[in-house]
Amino acid sequence: MALRSDPSTLYEMAVCMTCIDWPERELRFEVTYLLRSLVHNDLAWLIVPVVADAEIPSLSSVYPGMEWHERECFDLFGVRFSGHPDLTRILLPDDWEGHPLRKDYVSFGEPVAFTHNIEWALSSQDRPEYLPGATRGAVERP
Amino acid sequence: MAILPPPVGDGTPPDLVPRQEGIRRYDPAGKGEFLDKIENAEDLMELNMGPQHPSTHGVLRLVLGLDGERVRSCRADIGYLHTGFEKSFESHTYQQCIPLTDRMDYLAPPMNNLGFALVVEELMGLEVPARGQYLRVIVVELSRIASHLIWLGTHALDLGATTVFMYCWRERDRILDIMEWISGVRMMTSFIRVGGLMADVPEEFVPMVRAFTTDFQQKVDEYEGLLTSNPIWRQRTIGLGVISAAEALGFGCSGPTLRGSGVPYDLRRARPYSSYDHFDFEVPIGINGDVYDRYLIRVREMRESCRIVEQAIEALPGGPTNSPDRKVTLPPRSEIDTSMESLIHHFKLTTEGFRPPPGAIYHAIESPRGELGFLLVSDGGNRPYRCKVRAPSFSNLSALHKMVQDELVADAVAVVGSIDITLGDVDR
Repeated sequence: MALRSDPSTLYEMAVCMTCIDWPERELRFEVTYLLRSLVHNDLAWLIVPVVADAEIPSLSSVYPGMEWHERECFDLFGVRFSGHPDLTRILLPDDWEGHPLRKDYVSFGEPVAFTHNIEWALSSQDRPEYLPGATRGAVERP
Repeated sequence: MAILPPPVGDGTPPDLVPRQEGIRRYDPAGKGEFLDKIENAEDLMELNMGPQHPSTHGVLRLVLGLDGERVRSCRADIGYLHTGFEKSFESHTYQQCIPLTDRMDYLAPPMNNLGFALVVEELMGLEVPARGQYLRVIVVELSRIASHLIWLGTHALDLGATTVFMYCWRERDRILDIMEWISGVRMMTSFIRVGGLMADVPEEFVPMVRAFTTDFQQKVDEYEGLLTSNPIWRQRTIGLGVISAAEALGFGCSGPTLRGSGVPYDLRRARPYSSYDHFDFEVPIGINGDVYDRYLIRVREMRESCRIVEQAIEALPGGPTNSPDRKVTLPPRSEIDTSMESLIHHFKLTTEGFRPPPGAIYHAIESPRGELGFLLVSDGGNRPYRCKVRAPSFSNLSALHKMVQDELVADAVAVVGSIDITLGDVDR
């Protein structure tokens, strides 16, 4: 609130907010708010590093424009905001599973079955009974 | 719910009509409105406008809570055009991202190209030669005019003025002809690349642009003659969809939506990029923040853009268009035949791309809709680690429920038109 109304800062414009996912770090998400001051012609970065299942206070009561951006952040990253008036998915359907912009989300492509990863690529009923090179009936499938 | 007919000439003031349970009083003045406001949100009639509605300019769904013909609540449902560009960026090299950016704001694709190219160039500390910068300015200002022409045509069509639509399409087609001539593609040009342009422009480019700019101001006069002082147009737009400057800032509105409320903020002026500080142009602002002001601003912006293009064409410097840094831009075709070094660079750039230093950076440009920003995070690899697109339409649309509050349904169409959204930009 002070950032928005204090004459020395006057960051009035809610530019955007987003999140950067660093899966190998303990504080996995860098929740980043960008605010602009028109008077001082300046852009402020507010970076809040949080753990994976954290819930951080919503800025939507101070900057109403952040409401949609926080919904987008929740939708695509799964970061939760306390005090948000309507924390629902905004871009994806309501019944979507997962949060696609996380780095560990598998976004496209089918697993291709090779002999070295056949256990991973195919479910047990889809796997061939004999692998290439084996003698039919002689060797048991690993 | 039954409607009590208006009392017939007994002179009883409406407030003295005895209230009956379950019957809403009707405004006898003939405005077609109810005297009682619905207090309970559940009693509002829910109307779905869109996603397949011509006036939503794409696949936008508005859930309107109606009290008679008045809009008491409005919830925008977006995401029908969500394409996951931000995820796709992470699996493409930087130059491969350029065609993806075309598809976001598909009414002004060179704007997106420029925004993305500038943020990568800023991260790498890359300087584009003056000719490249001027040509970029010409191309994006032409695309701003094309985008505003589409907006003007469809907005007027929404409000019943069909002739303007035909005229605007006529002029836009000439801009698309220019785009086709320089890049081979009419809409998704991908003409602006990281480090410069796709190629230098052919020699017919300058006369084509001159031919366009010489009579464009008269064409704008034609549109204004049809609309600006047209009493129907003024009645439909003045005082409608008002948003104050403080509210607009809080919602993150930008572009003509913000300037309509009287905030003289234009990134071309406030934070000049791509040599915009070389040109003389005005930033028109509105007073009332209504639909009419936003209309006037966009029409003025078309004139100013035309002036910028004229100045840039007059002062177009010679020399190369692309950065000489061979680690970023492709070598000329003739060099590949004679230089081993160039062949290696060509091979490395087309197969691997280049690797900007690690870091996070935000750069915004003034698109026809407002502040188009790219937040780019690089981990030193040849693909963006994370690229967030700050889409102007997204923030502008989030203020829609303020603007249509207590307006008529038919006016909601005008308000949606006046904030000029592109759904590709909203949903990305």
